[in-house]
Amino acid sequence: MKKTLLATLIMGMFAAQAYAADAIKIAISGPFSGGSAPMGTSMRDGAKLAIEEINHAGGIMVGGKKLKIEAIERDDEGKNDRGALVAQELASMDDLSGVIGTVNTGVVLAGDKHLQEKGITKIITPAAGSASMTQWTTKGDKPGVADLSIFRFASHDGIQAAMVVEEAINRKLYKVAILHDSTNYGVSGRDDLMSQIKLQGNKLDVVATEKFNIGDKDMTAQLLKAKAAGAQAILIWGIGPELAAVANGEAKIDLKAPLIGGWTLSMSNFIDNAGKNGNGTLMPQTFIEDPINAKVKSFIQHYHKTYNVSRIPSPVSAAQGYDAVLIFAAAVKQANSTDTHKIKEALEDLKEPVKGVINTWKHPFSKWDPANVETHEAFRRADTVMGEVKDGVVVYANKSDRAMMIKKLK
Amino acid sequence: MLKRLLLIRGAELIALAILGTIPLTVSNSYALGLLTLLAIYGILLIGLDVTVGYLGQVNLAQAAFLGIGAYTTGLCINLLGWGMPLSLLAAMGITLVIGALLAFPALRLEGPQFALATLSFTALSTTVLNEWESLTQGAQGLSISRPPLFGINLGASGFYWLCLVLMILVWLAMKNLLSSQWGRAFEALRDSPIATDAMGVGTYRHKVAGFAFGSSLGGLAGGLYVLNFQYLQPQVFTYDLMVILLLGVVLGGRKSLWGAFFGASLIVLLPNLLSNRLLFNVISAIGLLVAVAAGVYGLKKKTMKLFQAMAPVVSMGILVAGGLMVENTEDWRKAIFALMLFSVVVGLPEGIMGFASRYLTQLFRIDPPALPAASALDDVLPMQPADGKALLQLRNLKRHFGGVKAVDDVSFTVSSGHIHGLIGPNGSGKSTAVNVISGLYAPTSGEILLHDKALPYGSLFRVARHGVSRTFQNLQLFGELSALDNVMLALKGVYRHPLPMVLLGFARKEEKRAQADALALLDLVGLRDQARTKAKDLTYGSQRFLEIARALACKPQLLILDEPAAGLSHPDAGNLVNIIKRVHQRGITMILIEHHMDVVSELCDTVTVLDGGKIIAEGTAEVVKRDPLVIKAYLGAAEVTAA
Amino acid sequence: MVVSGALMGLVYALIAYGFQLTFATSKSINFGQGELVMLSAFFSLSLLDWGMPYWLMIPGGLLFGVALGLVVERTCVRLALEQKSEGWILMTIIFGLLGFSSAENIWGRDDRPFPTSLPTDALQVFGVNITPLEISVAIGVFTVMGLIELFKRKTLLGKAFEAVSADRDAAELMGVSATRTIMLSYGLSGLVAAMAGILISPITTVGPTMASALILKAFSVAVVAGLDSGFGVVLVGIVLGALESLTSFYLGSGWREAPGLVLLILALAIRPNGVFGKATIRKV
Repeated sequence: MKKTLLATLIMGMFAAQAYAADAIKIAISGPFSGGSAPMGTSMRDGAKLAIEEINHAGGIMVGGKKLKIEAIERDDEGKNDRGALVAQELASMDDLSGVIGTVNTGVVLAGDKHLQEKGITKIITPAAGSASMTQWTTKGDKPGVADLSIFRFASHDGIQAAMVVEEAINRKLYKVAILHDSTNYGVSGRDDLMSQIKLQGNKLDVVATEKFNIGDKDMTAQLLKAKAAGAQAILIWGIGPELAAVANGEAKIDLKAPLIGGWTLSMSNFIDNAGKNGNGTLMPQTFIEDPINAKVKSFIQHYHKTYNVSRIPSPVSAAQGYDAVLIFAAAVKQANSTDTHKIKEALEDLKEPVKGVINTWKHPFSKWDPANVETHEAFRRADTVMGEVKDGVVVYANKSDRAMMIKKLK
Repeated sequence: MLKRLLLIRGAELIALAILGTIPLTVSNSYALGLLTLLAIYGILLIGLDVTVGYLGQVNLAQAAFLGIGAYTTGLCINLLGWGMPLSLLAAMGITLVIGALLAFPALRLEGPQFALATLSFTALSTTVLNEWESLTQGAQGLSISRPPLFGINLGASGFYWLCLVLMILVWLAMKNLLSSQWGRAFEALRDSPIATDAMGVGTYRHKVAGFAFGSSLGGLAGGLYVLNFQYLQPQVFTYDLMVILLLGVVLGGRKSLWGAFFGASLIVLLPNLLSNRLLFNVISAIGLLVAVAAGVYGLKKKTMKLFQAMAPVVSMGILVAGGLMVENTEDWRKAIFALMLFSVVVGLPEGIMGFASRYLTQLFRIDPPALPAASALDDVLPMQPADGKALLQLRNLKRHFGGVKAVDDVSFTVSSGHIHGLIGPNGSGKSTAVNVISGLYAPTSGEILLHDKALPYGSLFRVARHGVSRTFQNLQLFGELSALDNVMLALKGVYRHPLPMVLLGFARKEEKRAQADALALLDLVGLRDQARTKAKDLTYGSQRFLEIARALACKPQLLILDEPAAGLSHPDAGNLVNIIKRVHQRGITMILIEHHMDVVSELCDTVTVLDGGKIIAEGTAEVVKRDPLVIKAYLGAAEVTAA
Repeated sequence: MVVSGALMGLVYALIAYGFQLTFATSKSINFGQGELVMLSAFFSLSLLDWGMPYWLMIPGGLLFGVALGLVVERTCVRLALEQKSEGWILMTIIFGLLGFSSAENIWGRDDRPFPTSLPTDALQVFGVNITPLEISVAIGVFTVMGLIELFKRKTLLGKAFEAVSADRDAAELMGVSATRTIMLSYGLSGLVAAMAGILISPITTVGPTMASALILKAFSVAVVAGLDSGFGVVLVGIVLGALESLTSFYLGSGWREAPGLVLLILALAIRPNGVFGKATIRKV
């Protein structure tokens, strides 16, 4: 018994060291099984596309030698304890260059401290919960960390909530109901919405605040309350299947209030399951599966072909995973090293612009300042657009955004 | 003796030494994280094993107790600013109380209903943790920072050592508990709850205490869990986790501390095992080989049915083939876990460690520790005065089942020091009458008096406590316990230490005393040489005698023997008469239900004859034998007319 | 709202009825029943994807459910029953785990819509909004339960079923094979699960986790009603479903599960054999 335990431990350690010595090791971690899997796997697959392209072109020049990228995949199942263990494992790998991933904010909160302790560079994507980054900042008399190795590459909930509130105001939908799921994601989304409503001058009247659980299919009770209170729009924070149940429930009780909510409304499991009831749904997006130029077109086609799908399960996750790898690779190149600390410094001061599928990234991060979380956040309000569901696909809600995106990617 | 000490303690000490020194030699924080988790899950599973293993109930609430314990500790630290020891104690205390509260209704249930009740409790507690946002911060999660322990800031390895020490303490406490009266009671409960009650060892009380104790270990593990991860969310503690925990216990082996520990290692290490392809292929291949070997062996020895031998082979075969075909084993993790479990549950029902320890015991022939000398019988069963006064009185006793009047207005008196025979044809109400007296059934109406005071109604346990003890027509022995343990379980007046003292190991001395007393009783029924034999392995006659010895261990004023001679061979029937005579000499009053008229005539001072739930005759054996009503009842009306 | 809650309650009742069928004959239930619902729904969806017409899909899916039920009986239940142990609880949980993981890998982790030939627009019936789909659920539930009850009462095989439920040993002595009857009950239970899957899928979509919430409720319904109570489940199911809707409306939507669970624990504490169950007498 003890022998098995020891043997497993020892073999496990050997295995960790048995990877080829001259490669750039990047860990991709996220939920590849369970409820958040569509986001996790899209992110992973997008990232792997970028890695494949880089390797196909010969790799990255480091110390006079072209090195290929090796991806180490770890499934955190969207569970905090699993995520903490994965982070511990990654933190104990000596020659790891960095980590990309994580979908669930809870997993970030449970795991990232182990990476930060060892100073391992991580780019969080696509977890959007605000707390993921604000946990490191100065709060009142509690000082933040002086040096941070964690970056985020996602339009965080603060930005998204601001856009959602703004959209409701612009469309003159002043009576709103807030619906959210009972997970960390949904509850912090609700809080972000509330604070944004206040921030934007209390123009919206929240007539109902309702909750649903993961796996709930019957939303009638919540929607009836919203209907009775006269809601004109539903601001919603949740993930695919339950969002679809809300859209379908609206049709059933004949409530005509558009859904406006987090980026997860673009997930294929929402769009497919809501069918025509999903039309008109609005959500902030960093990427829309619309081949607006050659690079984006090739990315989309490449993804479809490699993974044998006709639509990306979560386009935002895939594109962010893809661009995150490109940015990371640029940092490796600039640092001219596989050392994770040097890569961190390079990330904080990227000289060359990186041409991605979301944006042409110019100096996305800067030197960490515990008083300003934006130093390690890549996305600003301007990098995010409103998407709208139209007959089973997400399109730009405003024509002008599309033109703007094309211009940015030039 | 020395060999035993070396092998059993040795294994524990070596494991401990290895686990304790790892942080000194390995600085890998990941390995340390895994080991810490191993210690925490070890505690959790030992607690779970109390219900799943020893009480034999499928308990799906342990995840909830992990969560409640974790939140209690977390909130004590965050809101009250308590230190580590106090917060952990709070976690244990609260889970102990909630465990007991849940156990009261839930443990009246058996099997699937119990599983469902605990499952609902898990779901309910997750809901409460999630919704009580003002206290638990709900889904947002609770962040805590680990307070120092007695002024020392524990690092990763320090905290690991703390968890390890706690696990060892829990281990030792469980060992003390299991080798005490409590451990015996747990085993006995599973074999025959009715007999446990009838021996004056409260079934319900022990179940509730066992469940609450197991739950509080869950709470302790929860406290350590939050101190380890320093971040909590309610969604962690759900059905999914519960299934994994349950399967860990079963896979490792129920009713075994090593099994719980092994199960914990599996839970912790399995995900890692799967991320390494080669390791996975090797282990699944070994699994297949073991399954084939065990299957062939089992079929040859005829200990297994074809299905039992083949199913593990097939499922391990699928695992090996799948391991070669599937692209990403991580995706299939749950299926892999399921296949492994399936093989183990079918092929090795006692779990991996259960199997291993049985095998090792055989290999090394570890002798059980020596028994003490038997106590003097006078100390164990003091002579009772046989003054012939009324001991038990039944007054107009009735027990009806629907329209059936099984006992209908029966009154008789049993005199102190007598052997009172109760006879009658099948269905005459004898068994029902003694079932009512002994408390299995409540009477429909009427009075039962012992020493002129009313006996409690409808509770085997309370009647037994009042000094009425019985044997059963259909044997109700604790088959998995040894003859000695069967008697020790029922011994009255020896076990005085309360549970906390037992856990701390202060009950060893009274344990020795109990062994000596029990041996004296086994001697009385001629089973002293078979003290270590499992009750189910005794001959039929010996099992009957063991029941008598066990009933005597309750030190009864009244002993009810329900057809003790049924099915006995001729020499055994003779032995039985001698045993009853010996018991009679101690001055113990008896009610004897019997069909063999020669036995009745030889032993009984008075005989009551029942038919159709009513008394038809009463008197000495010689008198009732000649009573025409009795003859009619036994032989039918035709005989009477002929006579 | 109460109506749609009650209709969901009917689905709980249908699944709970599946528990009763097996409990009657063998005193065992399938803890992986939810996975049976889910697997049958996925399989039916695949049948449609392969181009099978809608009306053929239903018997196809039901047959698949029956087959799964038989597999569960053979691999997970029979051995444990022979050994008179409660190993079946664990074995069926393990089966559920395997089924879940297989579905995740074969059909994907995403929820998928289940096409339906019925219109999805709501109708107004006595001032209540109700969709044709929901009506189809009610009709389906009562049809299946009615047919099985009819089968149990009117056919020879069905009478054997009743005999084994009433007294297994006596039935065996009369030449009724208990093993075969238990097989039958698991087959029927699989059929009921498949029916539940097919009925509920168009409303809830199909995904690996589709039944995990359902099954907890079905457990509650089965236990509260009593595992041997026949149509009691329908009543309890409807009440529980309606109660859930009411709680989430008046008490807050996060608490919607709570009444069912509290009800369950209370019912067990007060009437361990269920509200409509029969008490048993201890014997020695």
